[in-house]
Amino acid sequence: MAQVSGRQVFAERTAVLLITIVMLLPVVWLITTAYKPSNQIFSIPPRLDFQPTLDQFRNIFGYFDVVSLLRSSVAISLGTTVLSLLLGVPSGYALARSRSRYATGFAYFFLAIRMVPAIASLIPFYLMMRDIGLLGSWWAVVIINTMLNCAFVTWMMFSYFRALPRDMEEAALTDGCTQLGAFFKVAVPAARSGIIACVLFCVMFSWNDFLYPMFLTTLDSKPLSVALLTAYGTKDITWGSLGALAHFSTIPIVLMALFLNRYFVQGATNGVQ
Amino acid sequence: MSQTSSTGVQPRTQTPRLAWLSRPRSFTDSRRFFLFFMAAPAVLYVLVVGVWPLAQGFWYSFFRYNLIRPQRTKFIGLDNYIAIFEDRGARQAIVNTFQFTLTSVGLQLFFGFCLALLLWRDSRFNRIALAFLLIPATITPLVVGLIYKALLGADYGLIGYYLANAGIGPRTGLLTDAGTALWVLILIDCWEWTPLMALILLAGLKSLPTDVLEASRADGATAWQRFTLIVLPLMLPSIFLALVLRTMDAFRVFDSVFVTTGGGPNDATNTLMVLAVKEGLQFFNIGYASAIGNITILFIACMAAVLLLVVRRADVRINGK
Repeated sequence: MAQVSGRQVFAERTAVLLITIVMLLPVVWLITTAYKPSNQIFSIPPRLDFQPTLDQFRNIFGYFDVVSLLRSSVAISLGTTVLSLLLGVPSGYALARSRSRYATGFAYFFLAIRMVPAIASLIPFYLMMRDIGLLGSWWAVVIINTMLNCAFVTWMMFSYFRALPRDMEEAALTDGCTQLGAFFKVAVPAARSGIIACVLFCVMFSWNDFLYPMFLTTLDSKPLSVALLTAYGTKDITWGSLGALAHFSTIPIVLMALFLNRYFVQGATNGVQ
Repeated sequence: MSQTSSTGVQPRTQTPRLAWLSRPRSFTDSRRFFLFFMAAPAVLYVLVVGVWPLAQGFWYSFFRYNLIRPQRTKFIGLDNYIAIFEDRGARQAIVNTFQFTLTSVGLQLFFGFCLALLLWRDSRFNRIALAFLLIPATITPLVVGLIYKALLGADYGLIGYYLANAGIGPRTGLLTDAGTALWVLILIDCWEWTPLMALILLAGLKSLPTDVLEASRADGATAWQRFTLIVLPLMLPSIFLALVLRTMDAFRVFDSVFVTTGGGPNDATNTLMVLAVKEGLQFFNIGYASAIGNITILFIACMAAVLLLVVRRADVRINGK
């Protein structure tokens, strides 16, 4: 945009700054509750000042098996991400490069799958897992999460590869490179940033997911997201433990998205530019 | 080839032949097979784990099927669907879901557009601000619900206590009153997703042709004219994309409703997803819950179709394709 007065820029920046601060206040509250003693969280009237303490962290390690929760969360998101990429990146590539007239139709099919409400497939899936004896293990969560996420990855990579020129791969193929070689040595490196965006979103979706693990896992296989609900519900466990637990469940994802912001933006605006 | 022969140069048939041969080599049968086997696993996986359960759900929806009394399973035709529209609670859930979706996406579009216009100037400051603004969208939706439940509680909540004391809103807290709960949920959704909406719209703004904007500025168009006559029409495709994405998500809202109100008080915030989860996985009313799930899919498909039609028409009108 053309030249504007410094005053206007200043006004805009002040507005943006104020909006950002107001939007982030609830997040700041969540983080700070973790360092408040319980009697100061529940004071009348509610107050903002507090003496910092690490009691809440000691509490959650007493109430929850935090290591086991973390292990489940990591297993679920790692499994989902790896499987989704293994399935989704090649299929996105194939659909983008195919000259079949059904290719775009298939790509839209993956997009549509992503839009289906979770509950519609969850109930039959629940019965299916019960019948084959996977109910209660985090494998069940990985299997259904992979379905949704590989659909997402396929769609993302489809639009990403379609925007990349074919010339490089075709040159590699005519130079005697194998089909797989052209994919791994030429196409995948060229699509690196799209793949990073996919990883970010897969980790985020599966780590934050709560509906599937709530019904598909049991006490010893449940991830952090399910534990958060129990952290809130019980009487002697307080908002403080919610805040403390969020340090493990929420803050890592937020930081990851913040540091990989470029890829987050890329993934979220896929299809606009 | 005709060129070479007409100039009288000795025709070298080898070169064009090779060129002719090497062209289709980039898309031979082996290439076709390779691409097929690259796509097949994902398609197969989604068919088995995604489409098959959906088909089963479709099938179950015609049965009276309760896991607690499986021996009483019986084919009942469309009775489950009729029951949805006869049940006051379920009707309320449909109305709530639409009210939630339309209001919340509408507000997000308005505020998101304002935010995108504010952030339009490409500067380091704005990029960093946007990165921080997007934090709500990356927080576990469940935690978002819990944060607001805590903040709005009338007894110890940082916001709720003072609101209740100042006599604003119901004494029991905004989330526990049937009149205000749904609106609070809408505002929570706006807090969480407005920045994402702004991000998508901003990407659209940044891809606008700058020369047109510069020209209009040079011609002396006011800011308002530039916005309504140039920015808005050119932005229509981005706006509709953002609307489609957010509408689908808002219609499937579950986490934040489930943890803040659980659908209450008195079904005032019950949405289709919450209703289906309760019926299916708490009361094990598989047939009825499947019917609700299918109705939800139907609604989503209809909304997607309507929005896609609108996109296409707007696109035709603007770009004249």
